[in-house]
Amino acid sequence: MDFQESEFFIFKMKEALETIIIDVRDTAPGLENRAAFEAYKATIQGPNGSLTAVMKSMGKLLREEKPAMGKLINEAKAEINEALSQALATIEAAELTAKLGSAIDPSLPSVEGDRGTLHPIAQVREEMVALFQRIGFSVAEATEVETEYFCFDALNIPKDHPARDMQDSYYLPNELKMQNVPKHKEEQYLLRTHSSTVQIRTMLQKNPPIRIIAPGRCFRRDTPDATHSANFHQIEGLYVDQDVSLTDLKATLDYFVKTIFGPKAKTRLRPSFFPFTEPSFEMDFFSPDLGKLSNKWLEIMGCGMVDPEVFKAVGIDPQAYTGFAFGMGIERIAMILQGVDDIRYYYQNDLRFLKQFA
Amino acid sequence: MKISYNWLKQYLDLDPTEHSAEVLAEVLPLLGFDIETLEHNGPPALEKVVVGEVIEYEQHPNADRLRCCKVSTGGVGEPHKIVCGAKNFEAGDRVMVALPGAVLPGDFKIKKSKLRGEPSEGMLCSAKELNLGQDHEGILILNKEQALGTPLNEIFHEVDTILDLEITPNRVDVLSHIGLAREVAARFNLNVNYPEVKASTTNPSSGAVLLESVELQAGNVCPHYTAFCIRGVKVGPSPEWLVKQLESVGLRSVNNVVDVTNFVLHETGQPMHAFDAAKIKGKKLLVRKAGVGEVMTTLDGVERKLSIDDLVVADSERPLALAGVMGGVDAEVGVETVDVVLETAYFNPSTIRASSRRIGLVSDSSYRFERGIDAQGLLYASLRAVDLILECAGGSLDGDRLVAGSEPLTQKAIQLCPDEVRRFIGFKISNESMCQILTSLNLDVCERTESDGSLNWEVKIPSYRGDLEREVDLIEEVVRLYGTDRIPETEVHARGIEAQDHRAYTISQEVAAYMTGQNFHEAFLYSLRDPQETQVLFGEKALEHLKLANPLQSDQSHLRSCLLPGLIDVLQLNTARGTGAMRFFERGRIFKPSESGMMELLAFGFVLTGASLERAWKDHKAVDFYTAKSLCENIASLAGFPVAKLVFEPQETSPLWQGGQSATSGELMRQGVSCTAGLLNVVTLRDRWSLEYPIIAGIVEINPETFQRGVKRARHSAISNQPASIRDIALVVDQFVLAGRVQSDLVKFAKKAVSGFTCEAITCFDIYEGDGLPEGKKSLALSFSFRAMDRTLKDKEINAAFQAIQEQIESQTDYQIRK
Repeated sequence: MDFQESEFFIFKMKEALETIIIDVRDTAPGLENRAAFEAYKATIQGPNGSLTAVMKSMGKLLREEKPAMGKLINEAKAEINEALSQALATIEAAELTAKLGSAIDPSLPSVEGDRGTLHPIAQVREEMVALFQRIGFSVAEATEVETEYFCFDALNIPKDHPARDMQDSYYLPNELKMQNVPKHKEEQYLLRTHSSTVQIRTMLQKNPPIRIIAPGRCFRRDTPDATHSANFHQIEGLYVDQDVSLTDLKATLDYFVKTIFGPKAKTRLRPSFFPFTEPSFEMDFFSPDLGKLSNKWLEIMGCGMVDPEVFKAVGIDPQAYTGFAFGMGIERIAMILQGVDDIRYYYQNDLRFLKQFA
Repeated sequence: MKISYNWLKQYLDLDPTEHSAEVLAEVLPLLGFDIETLEHNGPPALEKVVVGEVIEYEQHPNADRLRCCKVSTGGVGEPHKIVCGAKNFEAGDRVMVALPGAVLPGDFKIKKSKLRGEPSEGMLCSAKELNLGQDHEGILILNKEQALGTPLNEIFHEVDTILDLEITPNRVDVLSHIGLAREVAARFNLNVNYPEVKASTTNPSSGAVLLESVELQAGNVCPHYTAFCIRGVKVGPSPEWLVKQLESVGLRSVNNVVDVTNFVLHETGQPMHAFDAAKIKGKKLLVRKAGVGEVMTTLDGVERKLSIDDLVVADSERPLALAGVMGGVDAEVGVETVDVVLETAYFNPSTIRASSRRIGLVSDSSYRFERGIDAQGLLYASLRAVDLILECAGGSLDGDRLVAGSEPLTQKAIQLCPDEVRRFIGFKISNESMCQILTSLNLDVCERTESDGSLNWEVKIPSYRGDLEREVDLIEEVVRLYGTDRIPETEVHARGIEAQDHRAYTISQEVAAYMTGQNFHEAFLYSLRDPQETQVLFGEKALEHLKLANPLQSDQSHLRSCLLPGLIDVLQLNTARGTGAMRFFERGRIFKPSESGMMELLAFGFVLTGASLERAWKDHKAVDFYTAKSLCENIASLAGFPVAKLVFEPQETSPLWQGGQSATSGELMRQGVSCTAGLLNVVTLRDRWSLEYPIIAGIVEINPETFQRGVKRARHSAISNQPASIRDIALVVDQFVLAGRVQSDLVKFAKKAVSGFTCEAITCFDIYEGDGLPEGKKSLALSFSFRAMDRTLKDKEINAAFQAIQEQIESQTDYQIRK
């Protein structure tokens, strides 16, 4: 090849490269899918491709012209690759979109369902237990089926005592045996009428110091109405140690009331009578922030110093130890806190009711 | 117990402001006597309510039931035109008129108005509207001497306040006006003015005695019985003051003699009974146990069959009173009565209580006797009653007081150490204050210095305070009178006590957190269920074991043995109400018949539905047995039971569960836990609950005895950093062979085949039935995962192990390896 021929050849090669670049720039963005892309790419870079042809013709060039032409080809290649890979990215993006399906509508609700809810009574129970746990009470439990001894006698409520009238009990048949509720002697089984049974079971198992909080289900033979249901829940507290005083009781109950009803709540202890405490009190509280129930004394619990007779029943020396105990209805507290005026709502479990306390 | 403020005033010098009824109503609850109600009798201060005269009236032109009256009140703007609905008056009657501007009880404001087109400038008042009584039939007609324009409060100035007190069972001494007066006196430092008594225990007898003797034949159930004979009474209506006082505390006047006994009961707390002496046969009263089959008719007209445990007061022939509870008609005091025997006695509290309970009759007498009356109060009360009978009904005492037995000993003294009191209450209170409080309650304090120099008190207790027996009872009195509002406010001081929370509680909490996290809503349900449901779902044994001895309602007669029926109720209610609810759980106690009786168990239960009860734009995740199985396993695992040991076995169809779609695992006695999961019986749901959609449910029941086993703290063991090697196998087995059984066989084989490394998991990843397999067969695809602690396993050693496993399958089972 002479110089002139060579000049012409180089000119032709350059022209071919430019044509390819222009073609790729024009065509690549319009390629709609991977197959079209691959087919087109083969027309450029495949064995019979136009770029491949240009590169093959390099061999015909004079040696001194090869570097400059090589550079040109590489630049053109880069430009072509860039255009092709952009086209490929677009195709891949379109493919992905197609694969992912149509766009979401963020305004539609999830059908996974709402987060579950703890029952409103459970919420109050757990809040109460937790606040007593913070001042060193640990949780105790006992059975719902109990015997007369643990429900009454050991709590200083003898058989012919008028105090047994204060709560009518559900009894279980005489002949029944409970495999996992030990009896004291041959007394009858019943459904516990109060959570105070846990005091007895705990004191029989452990030596002082004892500081327990015992939430549990109780039963009374009451006709159901807005404030009574066949079963309800109580929470019982007991603290026995050397030198537990009445002042300690008041401090504990004040802490409870202010924590659960707010710092503006006030308490008062009204002397009362329970066979298992002496002195005994009803505790009332008073709060300015309770809606309809604001600014009146509301009775919420019975409490007092553990009666020496109870200590004797469980084998604790009343000379060496003193203690206080308190018990209250969880539904009562829940109704006050949640503004519920009929206890039966709690046992219906209408989801619309339950969700109000989510 | 009702207390009349006016009545109370007879025993106390009450200051109208310092000790007003309102003040008492505030103070008494803090002394331990809660006020149930406070009611005013008599009109409050009312303005513009004055005496008027109906000058004339005519029929209302537009209303049949109304009259248009012209009323004069002697003032300006006369006469007033007033429309009135009553018909019990005539022209010329004097009546109470509420003029415009008056505010009647109940915040009823009187205004000028028009009634059916006729002007009305006030109201003619009924007794009830003025709080003067219960009469609401017509307006109040006054006598004609009342001057026109006289304000209401000048005519009706006697007002009273009735306090209804809740007296705790230990304070029988306060069940009377004098009893409450003692408490008020102690609180305000007042004196109790006891009415003086004039009658005497020794009196001349006029001729033939009315009653020769009283005799005790029932030993210690009546330690003391006394009687007075009164001759020549004139039984008739009581004087007005007596009628009013009895009515003020809600009692009905009977006649002067009976009224006095009731009055004295409410004055002193001592019950008493009057017999018509003429009706006592044999001139003798006997206190004895009732005979077998004995019958008497009590004053309320009811014939009572007596039990041999009942105590009666009888003459020589028949019982005349059911002692301490109620008198009998046979010796009732009536208009024909001339001579009276007045009984005053002390009866054993538990005997009276038993009788009263047995016949279901609580009288004012039995209420006090069963709580233990003042054993030393008999004489005073009976003399007081005699005085009043003579005053109200005439007559005279005849003969001496008849006495049988003697006062039970009630003299008591309690040791009290002031330092001990301060230690117990936790705050300072001076000896002087304490002593003053005790003295104000009529407790006698004698000071004594012990040999060690400490101070001790001996406190003498009056006979009416049977409730004071121990030092701690006196501490209560000190706190009560000192005032609980003076207990200082302190902070909580909590020293650490080594104790764990009960696991039943902590586990319940964790399970509840898990379940709410799985979108379950917690339900609270009743523990008492319907007998028919119990029988149908759980069988005869449950019906027999779970029943209550004394149910109140027929549909709440049995303890629940499963949480699910209640939860299905919840789904039913929410379905009916269209709340779209899908998932509920409950945690609670259940009761199950066991080998030796019955057991109380801790239980968790849940129900969930696959399809939403409301339509949604997108399908809900399908749920099935495996959903419930996983929930059960996770609950059991939270409760400390390893999932590996819970092997679910298929179960037959039962009234509650659908066979083939449900399974059980665990065992309550040995393992301490049992689970059931799957589809609830479709027919039962349809028939009992009218629920037409499938419900998946699960229960985990735990024997609480397992909580007594300690909890082992988890310990770390090293894990391998090497890659796992996987080998798969497909086995053709009988259709009914459980994948779990195949898996456990393979585990066994792998253990034998592998050494120097482990087969750490065998998982079933595919099940196939159908084309290419023989009828009744299925193919299980299982994957083995092998791993060593210290090296990457070589193909050679894995293949050798895998080969050994396959050889065992071939030689020891009828599973066919698919090649």
